[in-house]
Amino acid sequence: MDQVFETLRATAVGIPSTPFTVLRDFYAEEFARIEREFRASSNGRVATQGRAALLDRVILDLSREFLAPELNDLRKLCLVALGGYGRRELFPHSDVDLMFLWEDASIESRYREGTQAICRALWDLRLRVSPTHRFLSECEKFQPDNPEFNISVLDSRYLEGDRGLFERLRNRALPHMIAGGWSDLLRDLAELTEQRHRKEGDTIFHLEPNLKNSPGGLRDYHVAWWVGLISKMEKAGMWATPEDIWPAKALQDMDKAFEFLAAARCFLHYRQGRHDNALSYELQAAAAARGIGVENGRAIDPAEWMRIYFRHARAVYALCTQLLDETLPAPAKLRGFLGWKSSLLDSGFYVAGTRLSLLEPSGVHEPQRLLDVFRYVAKHGARLSREAEDQIHEALPSIFDSGAALPSLWSNLREILLAPHAAEALRAMHSSGLLVRLFPEFAVIDSLVVRDYYHHYTVDAHSFMAIENIHRLREAEKNWERPFANLFSELEEPELLFLSLLFHDVGKGMPCGDHVAGSLDAIENVFARLDLKPEQADTVRFLIRDHLAMSANLLRRDIFDLETIRVFAEEVGTPERLKLLCLFTYADIRAVNPEALTPWKAQSLWQLYVLTANYLSRSLDEERFHAESGDLQFVDRIFPLVSSTASREELASFLEGLPRRYLFAHSAEEIASHFPMARKLKENNVQLRIDHRRQIYALTLLATDRPFLFAGVSGTLASWGMDIWKAEAFANAAGVVVDTFHFTDPHKTLELNPSELLRLQKSIEDVLTGAISRETLLRGRAGAQSKPQPKVSVPTQIRFDDSSSPHSTLMEIVTQDRPGLLFHLSSTLANFGCNIEVALIDTEGQRALDTFYLTFGGAKLRPDAQEQLRVRLLAEG
Amino acid sequence: MMRIEAIIQPSRFESVKEALHQIGVEGMTVSEVRGHGRQKGHTETYRGREYEVDLLPKIKIEMVLPYNLVDGAVQTILKTARTGKIGDGKIFLSKVDEAIRIRDEERGEGAL
Repeated sequence: MDQVFETLRATAVGIPSTPFTVLRDFYAEEFARIEREFRASSNGRVATQGRAALLDRVILDLSREFLAPELNDLRKLCLVALGGYGRRELFPHSDVDLMFLWEDASIESRYREGTQAICRALWDLRLRVSPTHRFLSECEKFQPDNPEFNISVLDSRYLEGDRGLFERLRNRALPHMIAGGWSDLLRDLAELTEQRHRKEGDTIFHLEPNLKNSPGGLRDYHVAWWVGLISKMEKAGMWATPEDIWPAKALQDMDKAFEFLAAARCFLHYRQGRHDNALSYELQAAAAARGIGVENGRAIDPAEWMRIYFRHARAVYALCTQLLDETLPAPAKLRGFLGWKSSLLDSGFYVAGTRLSLLEPSGVHEPQRLLDVFRYVAKHGARLSREAEDQIHEALPSIFDSGAALPSLWSNLREILLAPHAAEALRAMHSSGLLVRLFPEFAVIDSLVVRDYYHHYTVDAHSFMAIENIHRLREAEKNWERPFANLFSELEEPELLFLSLLFHDVGKGMPCGDHVAGSLDAIENVFARLDLKPEQADTVRFLIRDHLAMSANLLRRDIFDLETIRVFAEEVGTPERLKLLCLFTYADIRAVNPEALTPWKAQSLWQLYVLTANYLSRSLDEERFHAESGDLQFVDRIFPLVSSTASREELASFLEGLPRRYLFAHSAEEIASHFPMARKLKENNVQLRIDHRRQIYALTLLATDRPFLFAGVSGTLASWGMDIWKAEAFANAAGVVVDTFHFTDPHKTLELNPSELLRLQKSIEDVLTGAISRETLLRGRAGAQSKPQPKVSVPTQIRFDDSSSPHSTLMEIVTQDRPGLLFHLSSTLANFGCNIEVALIDTEGQRALDTFYLTFGGAKLRPDAQEQLRVRLLAEG
Repeated sequence: MMRIEAIIQPSRFESVKEALHQIGVEGMTVSEVRGHGRQKGHTETYRGREYEVDLLPKIKIEMVLPYNLVDGAVQTILKTARTGKIGDGKIFLSKVDEAIRIRDEERGEGAL
């Protein structure tokens, strides 16, 4: 080495000399030796410590050469390693952060040239050195404009020079800086972390993560360390060790995570020959083949290797975010809930900061209390503390192995799925192990990597993100998001969409070629644990089975071709299913990668939706059941569910001529229940049934067709103060009407007086049989109701369409919803002499959206009749 | 060298891409675009709200090819993108003076 410094000295004083080949060779040989040792051991910690020691040696000799032959004699200046170098974690191609610490300016002129010579020598060795010069007094102050320096100096390590000066830095200046600026330090740390996480998609489950910067990467490991360091110094006035600041279990997990991440990052640097931390597919395969970070260094499958990575990243991310949350004030939305402390305590948990902790770990041994925790998370967005997550994880075996009866799973899961922070709750359930305990089907996609260069996230993370994409529609900001947000608000059972999204890709983890078939198999097992109604299960099956249908149409079909729309509409069947599938497609594409759902794709998706929705509402007349046209599969499906006294022919006769929409809109069980009502029409020509589900009442009416039938029912419901928000009226070829009315009871008449339900049924029967005049009934009740003031004004639009149906004229009317509206519309139509062939009644907020298929004397309405009807409808308001 | 810019129906894109790969065209730039030629858009009404569908979705493929591949590529696009209906798209050809690969500054057809 003496020869090296002869050359260096010559350069420093400007005498031409040979290049630094000797020093470079020495550094290169040592670098290669460390690399060889790493190749043999795959020990990243040893490799990074080795490189830090190599730099120590080089800097020591350079300092002796350029500053003082005896460094103990050096006063008022010392060399300090910062950041990763300070921690002795110097990765093969990482930057070297070096600080020249001066006591004051008195000796600066004497040594300035020497410090510059050291830096030049290091740069000439092709090292990425970031030197900084600081006076001790500068290090005492928090530097608001330089958060990176404030943080890197926390890992300062003495290298050479005035040791007393360094001790004053560590024991006085830095504690002073932290005492004055600890909260700003933590805030900066949190902001930098949040920005970095956001840039990396806010998920650990990147398929090609950045080992340093991705959530759960090495930077998060260090953030967890710095937060502990700052907090300990602020509270106890002393420097901490990891044992002081991390809980024992976390310490063990973090240690293992560091071993893995350090080995993987060293592998990347050596293999790429540069400071590159991107863990591409190719590098994952190479690392897995080398068994990097794997016990005994055995080669494993790349997907399995990535699962190990994700497990470590999850542990690092959990501790990092928890420590940040614990040290920062809670956001306003959660501060409000602290006032609920007593009620939360009753539930066995409490919220501190943004984290939810358990009061007594034994509390979650009771299944309902356990689910209460996640219902709270889903509702308010609080996150589980690491201890709570561990306590739940430890409690699970005793709960599930004891065979204790679980509470109603669907009602709990439904509540979680519908709450605004559902995705966060599901992630917490998954992370604690509860989700897989409840649904073992989910285990196969835990941290599952599917390599297709298109998906950015693991399959489980993709599923949670898809659910999150729907909930985020509540705050839709972009123009192209708003139609989907409106659609979401119109869904009757959004929980079915969320349930489908949760399980739609579990087949990807199953050993079958077709992931959709796998997911469909798995969902049957899920249904066995959820008490879904048959029609709800059918909808979920449909969404999983056809979840790629809309994307396929967008990419492979001309969506402006009527035939494309007709075939797709036939596959979908009903407007409600179309809404669900459209939102499913939106959420699914958007969860593939941040750029996957472009405004172009979103607009095309919306166009496909609108074209299909319009086709569904305008094609009812053409799309009817005909036994002779091969529609008998419907009979096959329904017949096993009907009474044994009926024949297949009788059932086919009942279905003959009914719009296919009726067959899609109702489950086989529902249609099987309508059929006996049709058979009883011979005894009583009005058959009526009212079902009650949650806040909605569903009235089913079967009767022989007659004038004022639809108006009679809608008028009676209005007279009772019921609010009709949806209705359908169909008729079969024999003139049997099948009408359904969905209504709410805003005055709680039926809820508070259950016997009134029978009286309502009787009123409808009386009106339909002519025992009571419907006008009398409506006059008697309507006057007592105050007319609610509309919040928004909806101008009336009436549109006639003669082209969509071969037999009827379509009339689409959009107007302000109000009590009795449907009665007034249908009465006007009946008084005008129109027959309602089909009616589709819908409500969106205060907008009534009604479509009627009308005939006049058995034919379409002539243009002059359409105009007269428009005038009359507008005149009657 | 020629630059080929093809505006095609989105539904034909996968087939066109595959066919171009089969004749040895490996590089292309693809954009999602909207527009109309003689195939004008229309207005759709949904739940009382009108949606203008005046700009229709299309895919734009751009590629620069040596002269010996141009005819084959054009014929392939014509054959694969055609449905026979209005709105099948257009192909535009223009001469390119120079191509430079940024990585190694190679110029001319070798840079393609």
